Amino acid sequence: MQPKFSVWFGLLVLLVVRSAAAADVLYVVCHEGVSLDAAEVRYVYLGEKQFANTIRLLPVDNVAAQVAFLERVLKVDATRYSGIWTKKWFRDGINPPPVKAGNAEALAYVKQTQGGCSYIGVDPGPGVTVIARY
Amino acid sequence: MATVVSDAPLAHARDGRFGVAWLWRGRVIKRLGGGMFGLVLAVAGCGAIAPLTARGESSESKQLTELQQKLDQSLKLIEALTQRVKQLEAAQSASAPAAAGAAAPTDAQRIETVENRVMQIEATNAGRSGDTTGVPLHGFADIGIGNHTANEQQFQGANVGALDIFLNPQLGQHTRSLFELTFEVNEQGQVQSDLERAQIGYQFNDQATLWVGRFHTPFGYYNTAYHHGQQIAISLRRPRLILFEDQGGVMPSHTVGAWFTGSEHLTDGKVTYDLFAGNGQSISGGEIDPRSGGVDHGGAIYGGNLGYVFGETLNGLKIGVSAFRSKITDDQQFVNFIRVDNVAVYFNYDTDRFEYVGEYYRFSDTDLTPVGPLHRSSAGFLQLAWRLPFATTPYARYERAVLDQSDEYFALQNNGMSYYRAALGLRFDLDLKSALKFEVARTKNTDRNIQEWNDVLLNYAIRF
Repeated sequence: MQPKFSVWFGLLVLLVVRSAAAADVLYVVCHEGVSLDAAEVRYVYLGEKQFANTIRLLPVDNVAAQVAFLERVLKVDATRYSGIWTKKWFRDGINPPPVKAGNAEALAYVKQTQGGCSYIGVDPGPGVTVIARY
Repeated sequence: MATVVSDAPLAHARDGRFGVAWLWRGRVIKRLGGGMFGLVLAVAGCGAIAPLTARGESSESKQLTELQQKLDQSLKLIEALTQRVKQLEAAQSASAPAAAGAAAPTDAQRIETVENRVMQIEATNAGRSGDTTGVPLHGFADIGIGNHTANEQQFQGANVGALDIFLNPQLGQHTRSLFELTFEVNEQGQVQSDLERAQIGYQFNDQATLWVGRFHTPFGYYNTAYHHGQQIAISLRRPRLILFEDQGGVMPSHTVGAWFTGSEHLTDGKVTYDLFAGNGQSISGGEIDPRSGGVDHGGAIYGGNLGYVFGETLNGLKIGVSAFRSKITDDQQFVNFIRVDNVAVYFNYDTDRFEYVGEYYRFSDTDLTPVGPLHRSSAGFLQLAWRLPFATTPYARYERAVLDQSDEYFALQNNGMSYYRAALGLRFDLDLKSALKFEVARTKNTDRNIQEWNDVLLNYAIRF
């Protein structure tokens, strides 16, 4: 009985870990046709890159994945991120990215908006360009 | 329908004579299962058996033989009917999934329709909130209190700092705009408005934007990094030498003209550049006037700024040089022309833990009517701030200006005297949009009208 229980418990742990890992993947996605390097994502979200070839980029933040994005990609905390954009906003007249409430809304925005970019915590599926995975 | 098999057949079987018949009846009912059709057959079978129980025992064996024959026939009939029932049940079970299959696409279609509608709603909402409609209104405000006001040494008590309205409508793929309208209280206690910035720009790409209008003259670092809203700046007030013109600053903080600016990313860092040209300022009523309405004596200002922002190594550090030349007039009866040449070096080191900024300016001014000697002056400041836990940011700043009082450019300005100021301050961020600032400072004018005073200032600054 004990070995059986161990096997089942092990499988359960594996399943949980695997699920958690899968949910942890962060996808940076843009509207179809937008060409960006993964290294340029940082510049896009700091307001330093606003064009991809001739397309004006329109990034949005996603509340559902913002903490992970700031930590893994921009490597700043929320306060610092806000401070950077405040300076950028009022010095250069560049608006900070609007905020979307969740993955579905961010994904819908990217699909809908030419030049739209965002980051989501679920597999985006077809209809968008995956720029990078973190 | 549950099949009820009573215990009666067992009792009759124990009797002997009719045991077999009862047993058969029970078996028939069992085999027919729960179907109504089977029940009817069972009743019919029982009906055929029942008359036999009324016959006499004399013809028992003959009757038994007949009965067995009839039973055999009945069994065959039952077998045939059972097969038929099975066929019918099989046909029915086969037709049920087919019917379910026919309904399934309907449900799938309905689900798909709902999904499409949800997607449309989300897409509509997403498009609606894409900052393509309407103009967001933002601004800054601050209120101060102290033994002096922040920039007027002769006043004390509470004072309204500024209400700074900020607009930057997004106009299209390449056109940008930025407007900053400020309401301030002047020395007479009257509210006056000032269009501090009015810029319309065309952004060619990430590397180049051309602005026209009234903008902050891109000298040094501080003047373009910070604007009229004090909440954005770490310190309670700007360094005195780069105060805005109507606050007593001695630099041409605003220019009306054209400004070409941008940056280029390198392997590890970024080069920034600014080129600008505009109306030459004038000195009117002891203050610099940016001449937003145009010039009548033909003076001009032009200059540039070149900076380098470090990448991974020394991340957050920017160093640079700037220079400008301006032909400045005054409001005297016989108009003087002064050529102001200014060069500057600066740095800004901005990280999560601290922000250091320093600037040094060198003036080489010449009176042009008549041509006079070269006047040299210098000014600069160093500010160190540390970002500590609990949203507190202490800072220290030292300012020094040594301005040639025989230089008409400084002599005609109310605040064009040399000075030094040492300040210690503390900023406390109540939240992302409001801050309390406290500063103590010692200031001394070192020429023209020598005097010295201490400031104890408190300021509550917000943005919205």
